[in-house]
Parts: sequence; structure tokens; C-alpha cells
Amino acid sequence: MRLEKCWFCSSTIYPGHGIQFVRNDAKIFRFCRSKCHKNFKMKRNPRKVKWTKAYRRLHGKDMTQDLTFEFERKRNRPERYDRNLAETTLKAIKKITKVRVEREAKHHALRMKGKKAKDHKEAVKELEQSIHLVKAPAVFQQDPTLTLPKMQVKVSQKQSEENNAMEE
Amino acid sequence: MVQYNFKKITVVPNGKDLIDIILSRTQRQTPTVVHKGYAISRLRQFYMRKVKYTQQNFHEKLSGVIDEFPRLDDIHPFYGDLLHVLYNKDHYKLALGQVNTARNLISKIAKDYVKLLKYGDSLYRCKSLKVAALGRMCTVIKRISPSLAYLEQIRQHMARLPSIDPNTRTILICGYPNVGKSSFINKITRADVDVQPYAFTTKSLFVGHTDYKYLRYQVIDTPGILDRPFEDRNIIEMCSITALAHLRAAILFFLDISGSCGYSIAQQAALFHSIKSLFMNKPLIIVCNKTDLQPLEGLSEEDMKLVMEMKAEAMKTVLGQGGEPANNEGVLLTMSTLMEDGVIAVKNAACERLLDQRVEIKMKSKKINDCLNRFHVAMPKPRDQKERPPCIPQAVLEARAKEAAEKEKRKTEKELENENGGAGVYSASLKKHYILANDEWKEDIMPEILDGHNIADFIDPDILLRLEELEQEEGLRQAEDMDDDFEMDGEELTAEEKEALTEIRKKKSLLIQQHRIKKSTAESRSIVPRKFDKDKQFTSERMGRQLSALGLDPSLAIKRARSRSLSRKGRKRERSRGDHGDAMDVDMDTPNKKLRVRSGSLSQSRSRSRPPSEVAPGEGFRDSAQKVKAIKLGKKSVKKRNKDARKGEADRVIPSLKPKHLFSGKRSIGKTQRR
Repeated sequence: MRLEKCWFCSSTIYPGHGIQFVRNDAKIFRFCRSKCHKNFKMKRNPRKVKWTKAYRRLHGKDMTQDLTFEFERKRNRPERYDRNLAETTLKAIKKITKVRVEREAKHHALRMKGKKAKDHKEAVKELEQSIHLVKAPAVFQQDPTLTLPKMQVKVSQKQSEENNAMEE
Repeated sequence: MVQYNFKKITVVPNGKDLIDIILSRTQRQTPTVVHKGYAISRLRQFYMRKVKYTQQNFHEKLSGVIDEFPRLDDIHPFYGDLLHVLYNKDHYKLALGQVNTARNLISKIAKDYVKLLKYGDSLYRCKSLKVAALGRMCTVIKRISPSLAYLEQIRQHMARLPSIDPNTRTILICGYPNVGKSSFINKITRADVDVQPYAFTTKSLFVGHTDYKYLRYQVIDTPGILDRPFEDRNIIEMCSITALAHLRAAILFFLDISGSCGYSIAQQAALFHSIKSLFMNKPLIIVCNKTDLQPLEGLSEEDMKLVMEMKAEAMKTVLGQGGEPANNEGVLLTMSTLMEDGVIAVKNAACERLLDQRVEIKMKSKKINDCLNRFHVAMPKPRDQKERPPCIPQAVLEARAKEAAEKEKRKTEKELENENGGAGVYSASLKKHYILANDEWKEDIMPEILDGHNIADFIDPDILLRLEELEQEEGLRQAEDMDDDFEMDGEELTAEEKEALTEIRKKKSLLIQQHRIKKSTAESRSIVPRKFDKDKQFTSERMGRQLSALGLDPSLAIKRARSRSLSRKGRKRERSRGDHGDAMDVDMDTPNKKLRVRSGSLSQSRSRSRPPSEVAPGEGFRDSAQKVKAIKLGKKSVKKRNKDARKGEADRVIPSLKPKHLFSGKRSIGKTQRR
């Protein structure tokens, strides 16, 4: 039993899921769900579809080249069973995944590094430019606070009386 | 064999019929339509074809007749003579000859007329030529019609001749009329020949078949022969004479010793002597019939003497063949067909004699030697005493021995299965022959999947090394990251600023939404801006609210706006009128009490919908009466259309009142009870 990768979105296909399509030139396309299958039938390029791994790797959103990826490679020659080797492999897999996850997180962090400062700058600018939507500049001069104090809307007594008369 | 073909001769048509058949066939099988406007070659071809076709058909038919009738010289002399006796050879040949000449004449006619047709210059001339040709051919046939009739008669008679095979074993029965020949043949064969007291009951040859020693014999019954000179014999007697003459058969000469046939023994003996020349080289048996009436021993002296003479003659024939001498039973037999006494003995004797003769002849002929020399098996002769067995190499023998031993030693899986309980109970351990570094690992179950990865992809003998490298690398990297892993925690917005920011963003999104609505097409929005504010967007209260939301004091602005508004003007006038008097209490613009109150008030505590007859300021009606009329007109214009169930103004015409697809046709499923 093997876990395959979806051709379109590169997610793992567990047994009992998805569809395999065999083309006339004997190339096999595996899909994890009908979403990927339908996109494939529409002849969409996964490199252009934002949510696929192919796009993310291509556009540098995800980590591409790493030593941890070299451990997991499809080998076509079966190895003779060795209990010790199997044990070590199992333990190693755990460590490798840990390392990989950490590295991916770091990659992400690196990508998002300047975001805070940028956001801050934008916010400051916006505040400066568009404060007139919240508070009139005239008032601003008098009272340098940014927001208005919360106050109730005054309704004049006279008007309310008249209205009451109409409501009758 | 020719004897059977007599039955297969096709019917000879008589002259008239033949003409009719051929002419009607010509009419049918050749093209019939021709016009005088056709090209001359076409006309000629048309008529030539007819003439040739007729000639060909006549030729075929007549050739058929000629070929199928047997040529008397080519068939067995027995048949030849028989046919001659019956039909007269000369007449027969003449008839066939006439048919032949007719055939040739017709060919000549056709040839001549075709030659003439080649030069026919008009339709009429060609046609006349064709008519002449066909006419002449038909005349020829008419002339030979008596021959055709004669041939037809012969054919019918020939078909009824008995099928006698001249070459097989035959027994011939002859004698005076009424001696008991037909009775005898009735006894020994299944033939059913007429037996009557009068002479010449049998008028032609009859054939029966009998068996003896698993062989089939033909028995031929002949009509009686009278003692007359050869020239005086009639046709019937001639038949028997022919048979006697040509068939190589055993002859049974019947003798009526009682004399009840009407002829004495002397007469019969005389007959015997007159035809004894025909008995040359044939086994002859003299049969004394009707012994129930007169036994042989009771004969008178003279009769006995005559009989002995005949016997002597018969013995001569026996001697001539080299048979047993002085065998009384061989040549002279007595029987009585009525009593059925001695019939079988006669038959057996005759068959035996015939068989012996035939075998002897065969043995003397050359053919027999050919059969014996057909096969020969050759065996090699051994040249010395040495034994020579087949040769097998030593290695092969050893291998065979080893295989045999192995087969006995090894236990098959099937045997194991059967020992441990059979197919359903025992499941073979497929892993027991695995070749591993450590035999303890044979029964290990190895997992294939871990956390969404295939373990088989990771298996590598060097995995430990690589893992170590990885960990080293990781350590280094971590050290590096420690150094520059500080995030500028710098400026942050205050709570107030954040609040302001959220409000700004809210307002912005609202503006954007409104703009998007406003940005719609002209279909949903009038392009000409309204002069009158129907939705009451631009009221002073609204302005006041918005200004206060921004933090400004709106009172001054409201005052100013109100001082400039139109309604204000109206109010001013009202005041001046009020000075004059209260005559005109009613405002021109606001006839209704409700409206007046409405325009007077600055703000409304409740919103109300307008009644349909009230004119809103932006609508363009003079007064409510006009509006009411307009509404009425509008409704009236639509009423008729709605009643007709029409979509709109453009829905004017029904192109077809009864469209075919709605009123005709069967339904693929369901009923058509209504349309």
C-alpha cells in the first residue's frame, strides 16, 4: 500500500479516496478529490492556481529545496528486510519530520518578517490622511484627541411635543 | 451402364409442340421493341439476333435427342439385338438420321438468312427476312414430326424394358409355351409374372433376382419358343432367342413330361435339338417339370429315349467344360412347381454350375495374377549375431536416477496442507522460505505508512549517517538564528489611535459601498438629477446629524440653511397675510391639512407613506386630480392586454392559430386525451 500525491494539489491521497486517470500514453494522474479532478479536466495549470502546492512552491510561498526532502524519495529497488534498519528508519522519520516542520515555520517567519513594520506605517499614514472622515479638522485644532468623545444626540423638547400631537 | 440410361432419355417433343416452344422462347428471351427510326445497324442486329437464337435452340433440342438415344453399335450386343428385334434397327437409324439432317438444314437456313440480313436496308425488309427464316425452320421441323413421334414411342417402350445386366451371373429359362417357366421364376424370385393357361402369356423378358452363396443371380424368364424355322419367328420368340444367343448364362431347358402344355415330348425334343447350337459353352440343365402329373419313371419308352438323348447332349456340354462325367443330377432334374418339389434343388444346381464355370474362366484369365502381387513387407536380414541396443549417455542416466530419488524425498506444500486439516483450515506460511540476515525476522510485520508518509520511501542503509549530518546542520542553523532572531517590537498604535483607525475604516467601507451602488448603470438610475428631493436626502436635520457626528456644532449651519429654504419663503408670505386678516388661511401650496402640518414641522418623529393621489414635489403633476387621472389612464391601457394574457405591447400577433406541433402527433409516452 502506498500513499500517493495528488497531481493537482500535491496533497496525500489515502486509500479509498480520489480518482486515477490513465492517459493513452500510459501516464497516470491521481487526484485526491473531485475538485482537483475537475480542475484538471478544465485544463487548468496547477502552477497558476493559487491554492495548490505547485503554485506556492513556484512563487516562493513554501520551502522548496531542503535536505529534509532528500530523505523521502521513491526508490524502485526493494531492499531486503532488516529489522534494525526498520527500527532506525521509524525513529528517523519522526526526527526528520520535526526538523522539516521547524524549517518550514522558519521559512514562513522569514517571509512575514517585515510585515509588522509595514502595517504600522500604513496605519499611521491612513490615520493622518483620512482622520477627516471621523473628526472635522476644525474640531481637531481645538481638541487634539483623535476620536470624538461619545455623546448623546440632543432632541429638542418643542419638536417632540409637536410630534406627539401628530401621532395622535 | 447403358441399361439404365434407357430410363433417362428426355422426352422427345412432337413437331408442333417443338415449334411452339422454340418460337415462344424466342419471343420472350430476345428484345421485342424496335422502331423504324432506329439506326440501321441496330435494326439488323435486332433481327439477326432473333434468327440466330431460334437456330441455336433448335440445334440444342435436336442434338439432345440424337445424343441421348443409344447407338445400336455401341451398346452391348444383347441390347443391340433386342432393340433390333423390337424396333427394327433400320427404322430406328433412319429416324435418328432424319433428325440429324433437320438440324443441319436449320443451321444452313440460319446462316443464309443472317448473311442476307447484313444487307437489309429497312425495318420492313429485315423483318420479312426474319419471318422467312423462322418459317423455313419451322417447316423443316414439321416435315420430321413423324420421326419425332416414332422416336417418342420407342423411348417410352425402351424405358419399360427390364434392366438386365449382361455381364453378371444370369440364369435363363427357356422352353415351349406353358411348360411352367413363369411359375418357376415366381417361386424362386420375387418377380410376379403372369401365369395363365393360354400360350404366350409371357410376351417379353422378365427379370427376377435370387441369392445363392451370398451372391446375387439374375433369373430371366423368356416367352415360350415354338419349333419353327428361324425366319418365321415372331418378335416375341425372337426376344428369347436373342437372350439365349447373347447372354452368358446358365440355361434351364424346361420339359413338360406330362404333356399338359399341349405339346408332346417329341415336339419338345425336336425344339431342343433345333436350338442346341445356342447352348454352346453354357451350363445346361434339363428340367422335367410337372412331375406331380407324370413322374419321370412313368414315361413311355420312346419318351424316355428322347429324354436320354437330350441328356446326352447336355452331358456333352458338361464334358466340354471339363466337369464331372456321368452325373445324372448335374444335367437332368425333376421338379414340380405346383408341389414345390425339387425347385430349390434345381436352382441350386443351376447356380452351382454357373458359378463353377465363371470361376474357372476367371482363374484362367490374366487379371487374377495382378491382385496377388500388391503387397510386400521388407525385413532386414541380420548379417551377424551381434546385439545392437539403443544408446543413452551416462550423465542422462544419472540425472534420471537423482530426479527419481528427489521426488520421493521432498514433501510438497499440498501434502502439508492436507496433513494440517485441509484447504480451509490450514493457511500456508508464505514467509518460511524468506532469505534474511537473521531468521528470527521472518515473521516480522513491517509497517508501511507513518504520519502520512510511506516508510518505504525512507528506507536507506545510510540513513543514520545522513540523519547525523542533518542534525549537525540543524544545530548550526539554530545557532545562527539565535543571533538575529529579534523582531523590531517598535511602534505600536495607542488604543485611541486604533479606535480611530477602525472608525476610519468603517466609514471608508461605507463610502465604497455607496459608491458602488451609485456606480450602477443608467437603467437603474435616472441621469437627470432630480430637482425635487423625493427621498428627503438633503434635509437640514440630516446635515445636522452628519455635522455633529464629525464633532462640529450644526446649529449655525441649520439656521442658515433654513433661512434660505423655499418653504421659508412660503412662511414669510403667510406671516404678511396674517397681518391683513385671516381670510386666506389656506396656503396655496399646501391645500391639505396634513401637508401643511408636514411642511411646517422641522422634523418628523414618524415616517408616513404617501397616499397614491398625493403629488410628491418631484413628480411633475400639476395637482392630485391630474395625478389620479394619469394613474387611471395607465391602468386602463394595461387592462385589455392583461386580459388577453399578452406579455406586453409588442405581443400583438399569434403567428399561427393552430400550430401543428401542438395539435398533431403521437406522444412517445402517455395519453393524448386533450390537446
